[in-house]
Amino acid sequence: MEIYHVQDVSFTFPLQERKALQNIQLKVHDGEFIIIGGKSGSGKSTLLRQLKPILTPHGKREGEIVFRGKPIGELDQRTQASEIGFVLQNPDNSMVTDKAWHELAFGLESLGLDQQTIRIRVAEMASFFGIQTWFHKPVTELSGGQKQLLNLASIMTMHPSVLLLDEPTSQLDPIAAADFVETLRKINQELGTTIIMTEHRLEEVLPVSDRFIVMDEGRIVVDDQPRKVGEALRLMNHPMFTAMPSPMQIYAGVTPESPYPVTVKEGRQWLDRYMAEKPIVRIEAAQFDDEITAIPLAAEPAVRFKDVWFKYEKNGPNIIKDLSFEVSGGQFYCLVGGNGTGKTTALSLASGLYQPFRGKVYIGGKNIGSMNARELYNNNLAYLPQNPQHLFVKKTVGQDLFDMLTHSSLSKEKRADKVQAVSEFLELQPLLTMHPYDLSGGEQQRAALAKVLLLEPSILLLDEPTKGLDSFFKDKLASYLKQLNADGVTIIMVSHDIEFCAKYADVCAMFFNGSITTSGPAKTFFAGNSFYTTAANRMARHVWSHAVTIEDVIAQCRNNG
Amino acid sequence: MNQSGFAGYHPFINFVYFAAVLLFSMFFMHPFMQVIALVSASVYSILLRGRGAVRFQLALMLPLLLITAFINPAFNHAGVTILFYLKSGNPVTLESVLYGISSACMFVAVLLWFSCYNAVMTSDKFIYLFGKLIPAMSLILSMVLRLVPRYKDQIKQISYAQRSIGKDVTQGNWLQRARNGMTILSVMTTWALENAIETADSMKSRGYGLPGRTSYSLYRFDNRDKGFMALMLSLVTVVIIGGINGENSMRFFPSIKAAEMTAFSIAVYAAYLGLCMLPIIQHMMEAIKWRSITSRM
Repeated sequence: MEIYHVQDVSFTFPLQERKALQNIQLKVHDGEFIIIGGKSGSGKSTLLRQLKPILTPHGKREGEIVFRGKPIGELDQRTQASEIGFVLQNPDNSMVTDKAWHELAFGLESLGLDQQTIRIRVAEMASFFGIQTWFHKPVTELSGGQKQLLNLASIMTMHPSVLLLDEPTSQLDPIAAADFVETLRKINQELGTTIIMTEHRLEEVLPVSDRFIVMDEGRIVVDDQPRKVGEALRLMNHPMFTAMPSPMQIYAGVTPESPYPVTVKEGRQWLDRYMAEKPIVRIEAAQFDDEITAIPLAAEPAVRFKDVWFKYEKNGPNIIKDLSFEVSGGQFYCLVGGNGTGKTTALSLASGLYQPFRGKVYIGGKNIGSMNARELYNNNLAYLPQNPQHLFVKKTVGQDLFDMLTHSSLSKEKRADKVQAVSEFLELQPLLTMHPYDLSGGEQQRAALAKVLLLEPSILLLDEPTKGLDSFFKDKLASYLKQLNADGVTIIMVSHDIEFCAKYADVCAMFFNGSITTSGPAKTFFAGNSFYTTAANRMARHVWSHAVTIEDVIAQCRNNG
Repeated sequence: MNQSGFAGYHPFINFVYFAAVLLFSMFFMHPFMQVIALVSASVYSILLRGRGAVRFQLALMLPLLLITAFINPAFNHAGVTILFYLKSGNPVTLESVLYGISSACMFVAVLLWFSCYNAVMTSDKFIYLFGKLIPAMSLILSMVLRLVPRYKDQIKQISYAQRSIGKDVTQGNWLQRARNGMTILSVMTTWALENAIETADSMKSRGYGLPGRTSYSLYRFDNRDKGFMALMLSLVTVVIIGGINGENSMRFFPSIKAAEMTAFSIAVYAAYLGLCMLPIIQHMMEAIKWRSITSRM
């Protein structure tokens, strides 16, 4: 049965010339699992919001959307609330009540169901999602993954026939994201619920989906099965192809045949077949090591941790345990590792926000405890918080940038020059007159970076800067960071994004249980791991254990071909 | 969630119980009644909160009791039995001393009952009860309880973010500090308003605003609750009848006169003792029963 029929829909936001959606044609059948991809600002979310009228933004819509044979405008509020579920991007914002159980019941209360029915439905959903163990907990005590799961469950209690999700995993760490996708697969397979979701991270979600729709500039570019979409994008030479799963990109880089592999498993199987026909030239590790440029060690490391211990409360558990490491000047240093291992805490210690209770942190050879704020944060350290919104204080990006210089002794022209330079560097000029909150996630990240760069830091601390960004913004961010790196700025970054770290970092360190377990130059580091490594490496490590990035594997295949 | 002992009963029972004992200990000034209330409240609060309650009572309640008891005779000079004269020439009377002690006891007993109330009546119980009266109120309370810890956390994060660019309330001279503090508040406000839009979306998309909203709760009024309610109400009735007959009152001024001890008044005191000790008795019976069950296992 047809759930949605989108007929030639265009949409224009008020006071704008450009159409956010252009002549969208789309049919969605019962039980399909559809992913919508595309750059930020390509109209994904706008399209998704058209499918639930109560969330549709103001603007002019042309064309018609039919839901189960009826124009969507004729749907009454009640049907809409219960039939069409919508999961928002930020789990914290979508939660309304203070307790997990109350959140589950919220939608049912709105629908006016009686106690008994609510009791049954809540119990059912709590069991289906495995929520019973934290059913009574206040929502503030839940982890990010649990929060998003709770959001999903609280919508599923209303028994929707369609589930719309707007980048639901963008705020989650990779493990929680994989769990969430698995839950979606279960809902789709076992309950038959139709799922339409927008997503940047395609690695996990593409293999379980039926259809992948790519949008660009408000139009649907491709709409097909995931592996065929990969092929089509490749043929069109479309930039979205760089966002596709690694096995697909490697495959396409080597051979033009179809069908494209989607998972690491398929990639591995293909690689085995491919290599079976060739004389295998196994590259020994030593050869790879030569390629890794020796990092020059400065006399005094930029940041040095010496036997650092830290805990938040007097009787609390130790968060950082005997941590010692050095970052030399001009390095790009990445801290990777699971949630709650103390990565972010270590970064806060390096930025002087906390003091260790044992051991010392040295910045450029000086003990951080003995430095005052002026010494620490002027031309020295800069810390970019996880949420860039926390830095914005003014009405426009431009004012916000000037605000950073209010206490400096520079003349007015000098200040303007500096702001001009930094906005040129980060390509912020078109955004200077906009309100910081009106920018997209990637643009906010850039504006925040510009703010801290105005302090002319020599050490830049970044807390998960790639969170929620699409692959284009990530590449852009990487190019800025590399540029800064080349200018001699030391960068320490905490991240879950293995692919990003493998591609751009000089040194990676794995954080576990409050200290660093292993560290090394990025490529050797990931080549040495078996599970905690890039998809490209997992796919090819049985042939070339040192090929870490997509480019490495493609180069190896070509060398042997 | 505290579900053991008396706290495990229906919120309505918890609420009625505390309303009754609070009102009774405020209005019944008879020494017997006061001693019963003070001792029960003190024992119950220790039972609920353990060592912390003992420290609280010794460090705060005892001094408070003594101070209140001494302050009254220093300012109140009514009464017929004069003990001695102050330097100012004002008399200190036996009645005012006793009244001071009595009102101090009342004050402390009420505070102790409130500390027990806080431990037993958690936010969801309160929300549940008042949600029955005003449905919109219960949701608002629940949302407030969600937002307060969230905002607190945000303020902290914003303050850290600002500190790392040298603009926190802990940095600079007092003028800069004040200005930075204002900036943080302004960031917080913008953030809160901006994010509230998304919360509103989430509420709308789940049908908030449809007519006929119901209020769900995890509580059920079961047979155990009914039994307890009956017992509690009968004790309350006896105490109230006693109160109407003047058995529970005490006259301090101009001369002290307490109600006489009769068979009926003893029954009233016994009922009051029973009422005040009800959670403690319940707790002990549960403990004894538990031990006998485990010993048989």
